[in-house]
Amino acid sequence: MSAAREGRVVAALGRRALTVQFRRAQLLMPTFVLPLMLLAVIASGTSAAQGLRGFPDVASYLGFVIPGTIVQGALLAGLTSGTAMAGDIEGGFFDRLLAAPVHRTSLVIGRLAGTLGLSVLQTSFFLCIGLAFGASYPGGPGAALAAIALAAITAVGIGGLAAAIALWTGSLSLLQSIFPFVFVLLFTAPAFFPRDLLTPALRSVAEYNPLTYVVEAVRGLLTGQEAIGDPLSGFGAAVLLALATTALATLALKERLRTA
Amino acid sequence: MKSFESSAPAVEVRELVREFKGGIRAVDGLDLDVAPGEIYGFLGPNGAGKTTSVRILTTLLRPTSGSARVAGHDVVAHADAVRRSIGVALQEAAIDPLMTGRELLRMQGALHGLRATDARDRAGQLLERVGLTQAADRRVGGYSGGMRRRLDLALALVHRPRVLFLDEPTTGLDPTSRGALWREVRSLNDDGTTVFLTTQYLEEAEQLADRVGIIAVGRLVAEGTPDALKARVGEPMLHVELAEPESAGRARDALAGLGSVEPPDPAAPTRVVLRTPAGKGAIAPVIRALDEHDVVVESVEVETPTLDDVFAAVTGSHLEGAAPVEAPA
Amino acid sequence: MSATTAALPVAFALWRRSLNEVLRVRGALLPATIAPVVFLLGMSGQFGRLTGLDGFPTDSYLSWIVPLSCLQGAGFAGAATGSNLARDIEHGWFDRLLVAPVPRPVLLVGPILGGVTRSLVPATVVLIVGLVLGAELPGGVPGLIALYVACAGFCTVAGLWGTFMALTFRTQQAGPLMQQGVFLAVFLSTAYTPEVLLRGWLAGAADVNPVTHVLELARQATVSGIDPSLAHTLPGLLALAGMFAVLGALALLGLRRLGR
Repeated sequence: MSAAREGRVVAALGRRALTVQFRRAQLLMPTFVLPLMLLAVIASGTSAAQGLRGFPDVASYLGFVIPGTIVQGALLAGLTSGTAMAGDIEGGFFDRLLAAPVHRTSLVIGRLAGTLGLSVLQTSFFLCIGLAFGASYPGGPGAALAAIALAAITAVGIGGLAAAIALWTGSLSLLQSIFPFVFVLLFTAPAFFPRDLLTPALRSVAEYNPLTYVVEAVRGLLTGQEAIGDPLSGFGAAVLLALATTALATLALKERLRTA
Repeated sequence: MKSFESSAPAVEVRELVREFKGGIRAVDGLDLDVAPGEIYGFLGPNGAGKTTSVRILTTLLRPTSGSARVAGHDVVAHADAVRRSIGVALQEAAIDPLMTGRELLRMQGALHGLRATDARDRAGQLLERVGLTQAADRRVGGYSGGMRRRLDLALALVHRPRVLFLDEPTTGLDPTSRGALWREVRSLNDDGTTVFLTTQYLEEAEQLADRVGIIAVGRLVAEGTPDALKARVGEPMLHVELAEPESAGRARDALAGLGSVEPPDPAAPTRVVLRTPAGKGAIAPVIRALDEHDVVVESVEVETPTLDDVFAAVTGSHLEGAAPVEAPA
Repeated sequence: MSATTAALPVAFALWRRSLNEVLRVRGALLPATIAPVVFLLGMSGQFGRLTGLDGFPTDSYLSWIVPLSCLQGAGFAGAATGSNLARDIEHGWFDRLLVAPVPRPVLLVGPILGGVTRSLVPATVVLIVGLVLGAELPGGVPGLIALYVACAGFCTVAGLWGTFMALTFRTQQAGPLMQQGVFLAVFLSTAYTPEVLLRGWLAGAADVNPVTHVLELARQATVSGIDPSLAHTLPGLLALAGMFAVLGALALLGLRRLGR
């Protein structure tokens, strides 16, 4: 099977994953609407925090908290991707894909390609909405593009983990019940508050959470202040996460095929 | 053959119409009566309006116009009285998978105002009647399709309804389960329950119904006993296969007095076809007549018109499958 | 037998049935309980330093957030009543109830009470976790009663909202709408900061949102204590009564529209 042919397979699977996402309201809500609702409440409800000693000097509080929303979106994009895969497995559609003459790995990469596309659309949407509501991104358009890329790679990382769970368990309800734990990953990172102003317990945990480096990197890019977050660390964490979980998902698929 | 007392109909429908969004008329001027104690078969293809009609009669849907009375009560003005008089087993065996069969029956009893002890006793009786005593305390989620249908029927009977509505009760069941359900329906009818049964299975209508109403595009297109409906489209035919083609002429002569002998078919030189209203009752006289004329018979088959033939004659298409027939002569 | 089946036994039977959702499905209560606990820990960890701002009525952000998380858990339990009803409608089970000679409003009482019963679990777990981690209890027992009254009342209101959605859309796909309604009701209020510290549009929203008063009713347990003038109690009870009247009327309207 040629690389070009597999590339077409991956593109087709990615396109399908993206199309289905937009045809089901219950998948659109958590990925596009929920993060914005939380953003609106947090940005307005906690904006007095700028008066706290130690809070970074930023042009726009909304611009400061929006990276948390972007990472939340990436988390949810990855999770809904894994949930959709579990739905395919439970519903029997995955068997149809397995019966096709495609490389097994393409089935995982195709799904994650859809996740990538979804995250790009999602992050762009969030940044535009933020802009419309008064956020400013001193880092400029280039930084915004880099932030979109970073979020997309993170989404792939989470999607890989969710896909691995889907392939191991084949259980849609299990994936759906993981939803609250997504927020554990988010809240143990400086998603909406600077790391230095988190409570001490949370600050210690945040150091070990790869999403800490991702959200700080996005924040650093958008605010144009590298002191707030180093983009390289963020990309490093995201890429490592994506590689590790994609490998995990591929292993899970092999295990599934072996024991089928 | 049953005769039905001339009393108020158990189900009475006049010019019933139900229109949905977009102007779709699922029921389009339906008129029918069901006598008390009758099994009425409501036969039609998918999308004909059977389920919509049943939902109106069971007070789940309001008609757009027209009227319907069940057990003497108007389905709109006296919906509550209708609900007290009817039992319903709908198309989807609507049961809660987390409950046991016994719990469901007791709950149904509570819904119909039975005291706890009465509901408990009634549940036990019905479980035995439908053969689910062994499985009574297992969760319904683990029941087979046939068991769910039987439980569905039992739930419809908790309060001893006067009229029982069964909407495609055997769809998806294996032949054994189907036969068991038919026996139960006959037994209920023997006890006096009026049964309004919708089905897309010809055999079910023929086996169970005292009268059949055939519905297409929302209205009744034919109604009568199964035999009377079939007699409208033609007589039964006997196909006689002979051992020797040379005996065909003698065979035709022998059978001339027993009915109308079809002209010979050059493609089937050993076959003689006899049309006779006696149907399978004519088999013995046919064999005797052929024997007297020294004709050796290989086989005799009876072909009778089906309700599908009736449907095709009236509507131009078949009940089962969508292929249109040639226009009737 | 009376002309129409008596209401109480029916309501009891349906209440009992609604508890099966959690008694007979292993782990069913876990996501509903874990989610508000995650929010409790995450929000208090993220925004804990906000208590340093002038005007914050307590030094313990955990004490501030506990009633919010309790209410959140109760609200989502109420929304789940709506999701369960939508599922019952889709699967035909609700038809079985509609065909019974029972006044139709009675069919809603049992499931809503079931939701309230179920909501006791997440509310209590959140309270215990909060107290163990150091939340204060200035309101004592009367304050706890106020908290539970607020939770039960809000769960009922959320249940009526979910019921109205279920009867209107008659599909489980309306589930996200039910949850978003609860989310907006809870968070467009003094969720994160007291009224004096709210800025912008959220200040106006919190002002008109009746749930703000319900939150203040609940906060008497862990923040303000019971005010003998009932200045924090009466508005909350009136808000609950008002929401009950409006959403109850909508739910009954939805019932009446069934079959038309």
